[in-house]
Amino acid sequence: MACSLALAACGSKGEAPSGGSGTGDTLAIGASLSLTGALAREGKLTQEGYQLCQDKVNAQGGVPVGGKKLKLAIEYQDDTSKPDTAAQLVDQFNDKGVKLILASYGSANTEAQAAVIERNGQVMVDSAGADNKIFSKGYKRTFAVLSPATEYASSIVKSIAELAQPKPKSVVFLSADDGFSKTVTEGGMKTAQEQGFTVMSPQYFKSGTSDVSSSLIKVKGQRPDVIIGSVHLVEGIAIVKQAKELGVVPAGGFGETVAPPTPDFAKTLGAQAENVLGSSQWTPSTKGEDKYFGNAQQYTSDIRAKFGHDAEYHDAEASAACLALTLAAESAGSTSPDKVRDALAALDTASFFGKIKFDPTGQNVYKPMSVIQIQKGKAVTVWPKDAAEASFIWPGTAS
Amino acid sequence: MAAAARWKPLVPWVSGVLLLLAALGLQSQLYSGQERTVTAIFMFVALAQAWNLLGGYAGYASFGQVVFFGIGGYFTAVAMTHWHLSFWTCLVLGGVVAALFGALIGMPLLRLRGHYFAIATLGVAEGIREVVTNLPGLTGGGAGITLPTVGDQATTAYLGNDGFYLLFLALAALAVLVSGLVAGSRAGYALRAIHQDEQAAAAMGVNTTRIKVLTFALSGLITGLVGATYAFQQVTIFPERLFDVDITVLMVVMVVIGGSGTVLGPLVGAVILQFLSEYLRQNYTSYHIFLLGAIIIVAVVLLPQGAVNYLRDARRTGEYSLLANVRRYRL
Amino acid sequence: MTSFLQATLYGLLQGGLLGLIAVGFSLVWGVMNIVNLAHGAFVVLGAYVGWQVNDWIGLDPFLGMFVAAAVLFGLGYALQRWLINLVVNGPVFITLLLTFGLDLMIVQAMNIAFSADYRSIPTSYAGDSLHLGGIRVPLGRLLAFGVSVVVTLALVALVNRTRTGLSIMATGMDRAAARLMGIRARHVYALTFGIAAGLAGMAGTMIGTVGTFNPAAASGYTLLSFVIAVLGGLGNMYGALIGGLVIGLVEAWAGQYLPGTWINALAFLVLVVVLIVRPSGLVGRAYYAARLEV
Repeated sequence: MACSLALAACGSKGEAPSGGSGTGDTLAIGASLSLTGALAREGKLTQEGYQLCQDKVNAQGGVPVGGKKLKLAIEYQDDTSKPDTAAQLVDQFNDKGVKLILASYGSANTEAQAAVIERNGQVMVDSAGADNKIFSKGYKRTFAVLSPATEYASSIVKSIAELAQPKPKSVVFLSADDGFSKTVTEGGMKTAQEQGFTVMSPQYFKSGTSDVSSSLIKVKGQRPDVIIGSVHLVEGIAIVKQAKELGVVPAGGFGETVAPPTPDFAKTLGAQAENVLGSSQWTPSTKGEDKYFGNAQQYTSDIRAKFGHDAEYHDAEASAACLALTLAAESAGSTSPDKVRDALAALDTASFFGKIKFDPTGQNVYKPMSVIQIQKGKAVTVWPKDAAEASFIWPGTAS
Repeated sequence: MAAAARWKPLVPWVSGVLLLLAALGLQSQLYSGQERTVTAIFMFVALAQAWNLLGGYAGYASFGQVVFFGIGGYFTAVAMTHWHLSFWTCLVLGGVVAALFGALIGMPLLRLRGHYFAIATLGVAEGIREVVTNLPGLTGGGAGITLPTVGDQATTAYLGNDGFYLLFLALAALAVLVSGLVAGSRAGYALRAIHQDEQAAAAMGVNTTRIKVLTFALSGLITGLVGATYAFQQVTIFPERLFDVDITVLMVVMVVIGGSGTVLGPLVGAVILQFLSEYLRQNYTSYHIFLLGAIIIVAVVLLPQGAVNYLRDARRTGEYSLLANVRRYRL
Repeated sequence: MTSFLQATLYGLLQGGLLGLIAVGFSLVWGVMNIVNLAHGAFVVLGAYVGWQVNDWIGLDPFLGMFVAAAVLFGLGYALQRWLINLVVNGPVFITLLLTFGLDLMIVQAMNIAFSADYRSIPTSYAGDSLHLGGIRVPLGRLLAFGVSVVVTLALVALVNRTRTGLSIMATGMDRAAARLMGIRARHVYALTFGIAAGLAGMAGTMIGTVGTFNPAAASGYTLLSFVIAVLGGLGNMYGALIGGLVIGLVEAWAGQYLPGTWINALAFLVLVVVLIVRPSGLVGRAYYAARLEV
């Protein structure tokens, strides 16, 4: 009986490989996404970003590759937010002859995929795996459009050092205990020390928790001027909510890495979200344009028109990853993974996402992080100064 | 007739060997991603069989079974990274360490019964995950740990999809073999006696504590071996995944769907469920989990005793009607 | 000292909420021997109901929780009456598996219906806090704690003082005998499951008021309920509240005196130790510990 089951397994999945990416008039791209499970929210946004990219490119007839216009055909699979499934999906794409891959959401998934990509000789553009660990392994076939994890909190620290008046003296980091958040914290603490802040010992809590009261009670007595959370959305909301409940009011303000740029942050917290700083891979005031998306403002309105909400940086980094892959195929004049890889390594282009150029480890060398602040319920860019949409409000907790 | 009866004990062996040969033959027909999918099926066959040893035969449901998986995996990762042992050494040691851990926690915990045993093992698994997360120097903590598989640091060449297919197949075969041997042995009868009535079993002279602890350790050994292999296959491992309660739940679900307390049940359950979830995931990307839930519910209502037990009972009584089956278990 | 008191108070309030989350789970388990893996999904669904009525007509969550309770009661009653009752005589793992399937379906359905966005039910007062010397008493959590205590007392009154409650307990102790006494077991089981789901719905609305939620949170609440129910012990309506308070306090104190995230390991250590020392839970009855129908 198991024999026939095994054969059934064979029969239903075993169409022969279709003979390489881009036979006929399409350019086949595989995308494993977290459509269910813990990362479903971000996975959905990533899918939107990829989808918009496909629409935009195909609206212009496709991508010109070696004298022929190829339509993008992105195939989505759900990795259920699990790294082992994400890695397995990359293998499955490889069987179908799909060699060009857009990464899943998050560092753990991306890291698991990168190892398989390297082994199979595929090529992957990483849209949301920021942990620096991914780029320290000598992989040659994974390219990331986004800034690495160490920049997330560093950028907030730099913006405070540059713009805050009066300049605060002490900083404490509250951090989730996953790999990505810890790297963020380490990077942020290093920068804070360099900038001359007194850096108190960081407090860690479980990644994904909605109760950070212990950490807050501990830091309350130390009276830090600035509290910076290396967090995801849920812990970021918890810090602000519970700080209010517990009367933890830093003299300067709060910074929360990736939580504030997400619309849910201001929506759930209402007035409590006011003046909280956050860091973003991209904002609608990012400089630069490209032939498919135009500039960042146009990108924002396209996302709104298609999906009915404001563009988040998760959308943008996904679109940018897809854009980089598309442009590389065009300049390679081929869909062969080796040629596309070389073209990615040589890519140097402007885009709605800012400039894109990869260093030998596969990280985007040009990419700065923006710092945003919630002002009147909206996330506005306040740093770097040349992209600022509004002035930096400090202290953020005075009201 | 007499000849047939003489050959009857050989039937499981022959069909087992045939299955193994079929699985080996299948390998050449698969492309590497399919190979990985089938490899995952083998992995769950081994895990479900391991869980069934204590959970199915004796009725002691470990809800923290994944702890052995995690210990085997993390032992391998730490030993390969820090102590530069070869994978094969780690595989064996990882299994042994998991078995010892099983014996160690089994002694206090196996005095508990039913759900209390289940929840206590769950507590152990969650606790050990936190310990692993909180020892970043050794285990990499929440950031995960990457096994050395390339360059000078690599102690064993990476096995590749073909290698892992064979290794997981071997583990699955081992697990089925162990389960079959246990089922037919004195230990198997003792475990089933414990399931029926533990006090009566003790009164009949079964050393219940000893047999339970040994079985738990054996089940830990197999799970630990699988965990060690999984860690090497994944290269980078994270505590959330290696101690993921979902893995335990899957083992239970597979055993129950197939038929608990049988040799064939976990095998059938693991193959069906893993194949089904993979098929749904590939073909119904946005609502595959919903469909899987619905199918599990229908299967449970129609076959509450598991597929294998249903077929066995139906063959004996000649009653194949599913409706009659539903009537037996409803309130 | 202030921070110790603050942590203690916060832990107690948190513990009360945990008790409310687990009380329905404990009831279903104690009476019907069903480990309901969809319990966390009920909690989150309750949060969505509370959120939805707030979004539509601006209903305050402390009123909205009754809507959530009513909706979830109906759902729970129907599920038990026409689905779970079909297999309730099967081996115990069968009901576990059935509720596992339900959990998958409900969570995925919420994912599709409400998206995976994080939500919270807005109020003007839940984030405020009272000043009590140097410590703060968060208002929303205090109210949620009050709800938890009132619900527990009401449940005790229900099972001890009313015919319905007595028939629930009687069915839980000996179903065959209860049926001989003329109790309609199918209805009583459905009623029990409905009440449990309704309480989960109330807990969900409270969570939505003091915190945030999304569908992925469901499995965490199931796990938590599992731990709390066992810690408190089955067969006693105060069990969940006591288990919740113990977990809340242990975590709060551990958070102050242990480094890093060791706090997470501690709750489970306490659980395992309690089980080994006192297998029927802190206030549970030995009868429930001995029952085994695997």
